[in-house]
Amino acid sequence: MTGAALMLCVVLLPAAGAAASLVVPERAMAVTALLEVAVLGVALALLALAVQGPAIDAFDHWLHLDGLSGVVLLVVAIVSVLAAVYSAAYMRHELHEGIVRGSEVRRYFAVLHLFVFTMVAVTVAGNLGLLWTAISATTLASAPLVHFYGSREPLEAAWKYLVLTVAGSLIALLGFLILYQAGVGPLGPTYNFSVAVVAGAAAHLSPLLAGAAFLLVLVGFGTKAGLAPMHAWLPDAHSQAPSPVCAMLSGAELNCALLGIFRVYALAAPAAGGAMLRTGLVVFGVASMLVGIVFLISQRDFKRLLAYSSIEQMGLISLGVGLGTPVALLGALLLVVAHGLTKSLLFFATGNLLLRFRTTAIGEVHGVIRTMPWTAILLIGGALAIAGAPPFGVFIADLSIVSGAFAGHLWALGALTGVLMVTAFVPLVLPFHSMTFSPGARTGGEVGALALAPAFALLGAVLVLGVWVPGPLEQLLHSAMTVLPR
Amino acid sequence: MDLIATTLATLVLLSAFWLLIARRVGATVNGYAAQSIVLGGLAIALFAGSGQTDLLALGLLAILIKGLLIPAVIERQARPVYGLRELQYQVGFPTALLLGAGLTLIAFVAAGRLPFHPGLLSEPVLGMAIAVTLLGLFTTMARRDAVVQLTGLLAAENGLILVGLVISSGLGLLIELSLFLDVLIGVAVMSFLITRIHETVASTDTSELRRLRG
Repeated sequence: MTGAALMLCVVLLPAAGAAASLVVPERAMAVTALLEVAVLGVALALLALAVQGPAIDAFDHWLHLDGLSGVVLLVVAIVSVLAAVYSAAYMRHELHEGIVRGSEVRRYFAVLHLFVFTMVAVTVAGNLGLLWTAISATTLASAPLVHFYGSREPLEAAWKYLVLTVAGSLIALLGFLILYQAGVGPLGPTYNFSVAVVAGAAAHLSPLLAGAAFLLVLVGFGTKAGLAPMHAWLPDAHSQAPSPVCAMLSGAELNCALLGIFRVYALAAPAAGGAMLRTGLVVFGVASMLVGIVFLISQRDFKRLLAYSSIEQMGLISLGVGLGTPVALLGALLLVVAHGLTKSLLFFATGNLLLRFRTTAIGEVHGVIRTMPWTAILLIGGALAIAGAPPFGVFIADLSIVSGAFAGHLWALGALTGVLMVTAFVPLVLPFHSMTFSPGARTGGEVGALALAPAFALLGAVLVLGVWVPGPLEQLLHSAMTVLPR
Repeated sequence: MDLIATTLATLVLLSAFWLLIARRVGATVNGYAAQSIVLGGLAIALFAGSGQTDLLALGLLAILIKGLLIPAVIERQARPVYGLRELQYQVGFPTALLLGAGLTLIAFVAAGRLPFHPGLLSEPVLGMAIAVTLLGLFTTMARRDAVVQLTGLLAAENGLILVGLVISSGLGLLIELSLFLDVLIGVAVMSFLITRIHETVASTDTSELRRLRG
């Protein structure tokens, strides 16, 4: 029963945060971040419980948490806490500069916590209808945040984001309905459409329907996860939103969409046969890596650069899961964590640049090392980390995925992945190097300690992940592996 | 019974075609309202035949929320453009109709191929339901007007409700309620943005917004 209570608690706390944002004074919005700290605390307790035994399943299968959703919950909770803290610093600066009004900041925090609420709901959803609803709700909660600055470009980005991801969600819904039908054979015409029940009958689902359901969900939620060629909205939305929101969109929300895909993958694979499903993940994965890398090269906007890097990394994660060898699975799951933390770190660091230089053009930012030395450390550390340099978490994950491909005797695929990763290195690192070290005017200074602390916490975390995966996290990753098909 | 259900489902399909080709912004919203009311009627007809009370609830909710409330919300937000004709389209009238027919064919073939366990409705209705979904999504992609794009998404969702009726007689009331809530919040967020689009470019033509590239 503790598991059930904790799950209820973890999903309701962010909703309380949304309510609190409506009454707390604008300048004290950091206080509402405390509720997200509580979310992280409860999430950790829940994960400690989840890795010890079988999945936690409660309220007639409405809520469910296993290793797979646990990994996503961990990332969502960490990124949300830090994004809430960073938002307080970011919005205080925007208020001070007179760019936003107090009432806008209040609304921003209310919607931010609602967004966290929808993402946490995705991770603890046990009923598959609820899972679909929660994933769709993440779009609806985050679109107003993308539109926050209200000018023409954010408006275009928010509209495109809504139209394309809602269309994707509807395609995924068709997939969920067909998945329901796939279970009618073994389970009868009316059954509890939940992860636990469908997983129990997974081997007896109708193979054709299960396969069709997976492909529809892959295309539908693949749109939301930014997989190519359905990624068109992502660089716009992930570059126009305020930086703390970008961190949540790239670092946390994309993983929620992936969770929807992997959940259906795990349920459909036993009946439909892994080979065809796996091919789908690998094809979309490689396509996303290619598209991401092509647009990384010659990118002139540092936020769009990070967005295209997210497309590439999502591709790599789905490739790793599609490869299905134990080492590749472990690498893909580690990459969910490492990418989520590293990308958030970079959006926080470039957020500081944006507040100081008021531009996202790489060519207009100079000499960061002299004016903002702490931010410069974050930029260089973050750029090396996301590009896959040792000793950072992404490096270990990348290495595992490539060696997982070789372990499965997929030589060409392993070699291609390796080449793509190396190709991405220079276009990712060079812009940050030029912004940091190029000669330039000495203006401004750091934004403040509160604007640096969240990113430094993340830099520390991704460094630790590069040299040593802590025991409990390793347990969690292994527990997640058992959910995914091999 | 089967005849009534099939007739109503055919009307839902026809209204999806109407959305695809109607040029006046207001006409597409009215088409969606009519489609929702027919869909609600279909659910109520199925309730009359089977006695499943959640079908009655689904039917009434569809008529009240999708047939009346949502069109009213959209009309309130989009009043300035409501009577306008859309002048520029991504895809012209004959091409749109042809592609729509092609999508309908694909839907029927897919529905025939997949091994469904028939419930209250027969297999041709499944083909129509999938066709409505595809036509709605196609409308969204083929048109530039923000209001029409929203209506296309809503029509696709109607198609999915119909798919749900065919394959599971509804997924359970709680899930359907959360789906209605989802749709309602989606309409609220999107009509807010439609108002902002209208304020920004003095029309609801989304191609006027286009600036983000690369």
